Amino acid sequence: MRWILFLLALGTGFAHALDYHLQPRQIADGVWLLEGSTDNFAAENGGNIVNIGFIETADGVVVIDTGPSRRYGEALRQSIEQTTGKPVLRVLLTHHHPDHVLGNQAFAGVPIAALPETTRLLAEQGDAMAENMYRLVGDWMRGTEVVLPTEEVQEGTLEIGGTRLQLLALRGHTGADLAILDERTGVLFAGDILFYQRALTTPNSPGLDVWLADLDRLEAMPWKQIVPGHGPVTTDAAPFVQMRDYLGWLDGLLRQGAEQGAEMNELIRAPIPERFAQVNLSRYELIRSVSHLYPRYERNAMGRVDRQD
Amino acid sequence: MDWRSLILLALFAWAWEARAAAPDPVTSVMWDYYHQRLLNGEAFVFDDKVRLEVPPFAEDARQVPIQIDASAYRGKVKRILAWAELNPIPRILDFAPGEHLEPSLAIRIRVEQATPIRAAVLTDDGVWHIGSARVEAAGGGCTAPSVVRAEAGWEERLGQVLGKRFERGEDSRLRLQVSHPMDNGLVGGIPEFYIEQAELRDADGQVLGRIELFPAVSENPTLTLDLRGDQQTELWLRDNNGNEFQAAF
Ligand SMILES: [Zn+2]
Repeated sequence: MRWILFLLALGTGFAHALDYHLQPRQIADGVWLLEGSTDNFAAENGGNIVNIGFIETADGVVVIDTGPSRRYGEALRQSIEQTTGKPVLRVLLTHHHPDHVLGNQAFAGVPIAALPETTRLLAEQGDAMAENMYRLVGDWMRGTEVVLPTEEVQEGTLEIGGTRLQLLALRGHTGADLAILDERTGVLFAGDILFYQRALTTPNSPGLDVWLADLDRLEAMPWKQIVPGHGPVTTDAAPFVQMRDYLGWLDGLLRQGAEQGAEMNELIRAPIPERFAQVNLSRYELIRSVSHLYPRYERNAMGRVDRQD
Repeated sequence: MDWRSLILLALFAWAWEARAAAPDPVTSVMWDYYHQRLLNGEAFVFDDKVRLEVPPFAEDARQVPIQIDASAYRGKVKRILAWAELNPIPRILDFAPGEHLEPSLAIRIRVEQATPIRAAVLTDDGVWHIGSARVEAAGGGCTAPSVVRAEAGWEERLGQVLGKRFERGEDSRLRLQVSHPMDNGLVGGIPEFYIEQAELRDADGQVLGRIELFPAVSENPTLTLDLRGDQQTELWLRDNNGNEFQAAF
């Protein structure tokens, strides 16, 4: 009996520990941020490695991304209602990656909007990504299921509750990446087109050249403050500077590697420049990016050598 | 020296040898099995001079790059075997580098789960030198649906070879990728269909090196060989259905 009580105590203690402790931070008039860590998915963080935001309008709230799990989404919705006292009008998803969309379940009854290609990618890859999240963060994910967007958005201006948002349809990170600028405050939600102080991820990238071109379009927006998908908020262009530098280095490493006949195992051990010492997880993400991207660079560097007769 | 001293000396020597023999660096429960099955129980030593590079984890379990470098035994290597110990299809390759090839090679493989990988290098004194590594993996690389077969027109591309020669000082690195599904018989009822033999030959048809391949090798196999010198080479490949392919570098 004592054993059972002990196990029960352990069990409830553990369940109690699974709390994201979300503390929305106001970063501009009517704009709040929930800033995640710059670590990798782990049981210790419940997958809370991502920046989630919300914007208060006259009629209600616009939510930007829903987080890594059902549990996160529910805590998010609760903290939005506590903070603003207003209902959620609309969810906007920046892209289909699991840390940004697996909180969708908590927004039942609210229109969830995304680029059409984001919906297609989530339908195609969502279950496998959710399964992987269960493997990486465990119990935090309990009850989490993929919920697809219910509305489409396109590039252009979107007005919700009297608040004007400028939407930009980009491609560099996943092939469908939505960036959102709140016109009134100049807060730019860049999604994962910007990683700052955290190494960028490439599993769905159509190419680093595409991503670099996106940075020019995004930087030209009239922003005053930047919320990257991962990493700290800034009021200067530092995330753009770091992203260009990092993407340029990665592209050069892979291109030169392919031109000189480097093997994947040689590239994943390549030195990482000292100036990226502040960029968390750069070695880990280099190993992943070599796997994602190097085959394309290799094929471009090689030619047909088979006897064609 | 009396008999007691001799026994003591023998015991000491035995203990010394037991201590000197390096332990298995990846402590695999499967080692004894593969030692018997693939190396016929012959003399071996775990040897970090045989460099076996793998990524710490498999980002894509269908394409895990492995790189073997036994150049510490240049001129003495007769064969190199490689296998993945916990794979349903463990064997990767059996490579006999001739005197014009470095005893080194890189290739990509499929892994079904986290596994120790071995490169066993037979030197001319009859000893197997075992390079070891371990790759973490979420898994499923051997049973994932074919990427090649999902591409339209793959049959027309069968046996096409992309390749390039890279000058490296006096020597040349040869890299190539062959269009082939490398079906391993574990997916969707598709029988085994894979490239099983490769030979690198010089312009006169002399064999510079031979490789036997197994279906642990990834789809569209990639291969890197290091050639001593800069002579022209030809690559000859044959799959288990008897298709032959040739390429020239
Ligand atoms: Zn992302």
